[in-house]
Amino acid sequence: MSGARGQPGDAAQQKLARMAVTQRVERGSRVALEARDEPSAPRPVLALHGESTSPAALWRSLWRSRELLAILARKEFQVRYRRASLGLMWAVGLPLLQSLVMAVIFSKVAHIRAAPHYVVFVLAGMTAFITFSAALGPGSTAIVDGSDLSSRVYFPRLLLPMMQVATNLYGYVITLAILLALCPVLHVGLGLRTLLLIPATVLLVAVTAGFCLLSSALHVYFRDIRYMVAAALMLWMYVTPIVYPPGDVPGLLRGVLDANPMTAVVDLFHMATVGYGGPSELTVVVGVLWAVGLLVVATAVHCRFDRVFADLL
Amino acid sequence: MSAAIELQGVGKRFAKYVDTPMLVSSALRWRPKTRRDRLWAVRGVDFTVEAGECVGVIGRNGSGKSTLMTMIAGITGPTEGSVTVRGRVAPLIAVGVGFHRELTGRENIYVNGAILGLGRRQIRRRLDAIVAFSGVEDFIDTPVKFYSSGMFVRLGFAVAVHAEPDVLIVDEVLAVGDLAFQVKCFEKMNEIRASGTTVVMVSHHLGVVRRMCERVMLMERGRPRVVAPPEQAIAAFHEVLTEVTDTVVDEVSGLRYEPNVARIETVEILGPDGQRNSHVESGLPMAVRVRATVVQDVEDLVVGLTLLAGDGTTLYSDSTAGFRFGAASAGETVSWDMQFRAQLPTGSYSAVARVDRPDLRTTLAYHPPVSFFVTGRHTVTGVADLEAVVVRHDGDVDGSVSTVVDPSPGALLAPDPR
Repeated sequence: MSGARGQPGDAAQQKLARMAVTQRVERGSRVALEARDEPSAPRPVLALHGESTSPAALWRSLWRSRELLAILARKEFQVRYRRASLGLMWAVGLPLLQSLVMAVIFSKVAHIRAAPHYVVFVLAGMTAFITFSAALGPGSTAIVDGSDLSSRVYFPRLLLPMMQVATNLYGYVITLAILLALCPVLHVGLGLRTLLLIPATVLLVAVTAGFCLLSSALHVYFRDIRYMVAAALMLWMYVTPIVYPPGDVPGLLRGVLDANPMTAVVDLFHMATVGYGGPSELTVVVGVLWAVGLLVVATAVHCRFDRVFADLL
Repeated sequence: MSAAIELQGVGKRFAKYVDTPMLVSSALRWRPKTRRDRLWAVRGVDFTVEAGECVGVIGRNGSGKSTLMTMIAGITGPTEGSVTVRGRVAPLIAVGVGFHRELTGRENIYVNGAILGLGRRQIRRRLDAIVAFSGVEDFIDTPVKFYSSGMFVRLGFAVAVHAEPDVLIVDEVLAVGDLAFQVKCFEKMNEIRASGTTVVMVSHHLGVVRRMCERVMLMERGRPRVVAPPEQAIAAFHEVLTEVTDTVVDEVSGLRYEPNVARIETVEILGPDGQRNSHVESGLPMAVRVRATVVQDVEDLVVGLTLLAGDGTTLYSDSTAGFRFGAASAGETVSWDMQFRAQLPTGSYSAVARVDRPDLRTTLAYHPPVSFFVTGRHTVTGVADLEAVVVRHDGDVDGSVSTVVDPSPGALLAPDPR
């Protein structure tokens, strides 16, 4: 007989056989190797009945993973700009540049009836919208893209899209600080109305999170979502009153603007900075309804599919 | 002590997607064609693992072992039944516990530790131990995308075991890494078992399962077939391997099993005198005599032999690949002897005979292990008797006269008659 034909793994088995390291450990001899750090911490109990998760259980595991979310978001933010020499500059520079280009093109080239403080007007709208689109792009594919992690260990899958939202908040805070610093320079007075930025931010985060959570779950089943989101974002910017004041938009576009949850967000940003172009009651109600509705639906979807996503990755 | 893992009537059904549904195409079609094939990967598993126990799960590829592990790890939920796991779980499923490729080794330790439920301070306290154990000190601040696969596994294993989980799930990852690391892994596994951690391991390395586990569950077509001490479960597994009636393709290795072409009827152990004898003396010739019936005409056969040690470790495996054994026609009885010298120390062994096609990817017949016992020389231990001869030189090594101190029975190396 000749021509060695080993079965896969033979070599490793033979190696293992030579090692005399594996005496059976007597059961019951509980040797305390080192004191556990948290003797009083309750041991988590995993109880799965069927594929879906109850909202309470999902919330509990989300709460337990809050530190993980912070770590993941921070690392993601660092990784994004790590290999770039200008690093963080890009996180802020790109939105600023984009806003400036828009402001110049629409006011100087396209001769849009320039509103007062047009640069700040555009910048404020863009700050909000870029945060939204920068999170929704990678956020909608987050669960599939994170399959490396999620096929090997459990954590609530909605952490993955949430991580994209949280990551973009870093850039958002910096851009917002620059925007507010620019306001006095560009002769835009700030006042009490600037506090509108707080509800504006809350609404922005809620709408962004809602879309990210829902689209990332759908994307696991329908991989077209990736392209649909890209196409939608392209159009979305123009049906949001970023470069034009919403005042006298006629007909069909008016209806689209009213139904767009980002209208309320962007209008609030306008109101908080340049002090005009504030949202109507209708758009605020629509924005809040969208945010609440999306979050409710997205939570329901994640409850149903949280422990099933891994099967389809 | 309450049970660490309780599985009650656990089943997991997968939809066998022919192709992932697309919004447009499924809308255009009268009705979507997918979701028709449903497949129970696991069904009817009732099983309890006590805290501190080490349980092995064995079975053929596709028998549902890994699906069961993903459910115990909480990665996926059961379609029916319930899974209860008490305590923190650290799953080691496939290579790398889930690393972010762009992050450095150190950052990944933090991310991974957080996923496994450790706080920042707890991770910081364990950092040095993890780094030292993984042996990637020099690369700890390098992004893991530049790591070799061995470094990946080592770091993943290091984090998981240092997380001091209550339940450790090991799915076929221990066989990776070099020998030194494997030794370290097994020492660490024994250590964490001694500390009371519950371990569930899936492995195709029956020797490992036998040494580590107290109980073994044999899975067959998604159902537990036998739950027994390792020896019995492994014996049952060998039976399962011979029961197959359809062509089976192992998707990982591409190896196929094609039944109903040839059948091995008997396997006998012959002593030096050519008579049946299951007790053999070390160093003497012996043979494995195989008698097979050919069911369908075959152009050529490859016959093979595998010798296993008592703990299931493969000692030797060889075949006539590359040589012509000869054709056989349907109904014909073919027999052959595989002769060799029993260069083995004292112990019980088993011989496994098989018949393959010359493509070396298709097994036609397989016979469960046949045991034999070797009476070896009393000074020999280990896995093989290489029959070393000890030759003493007079003075330094170039001294002219030498004395044979320990002549072995079949010494090949005669003392140099200078």
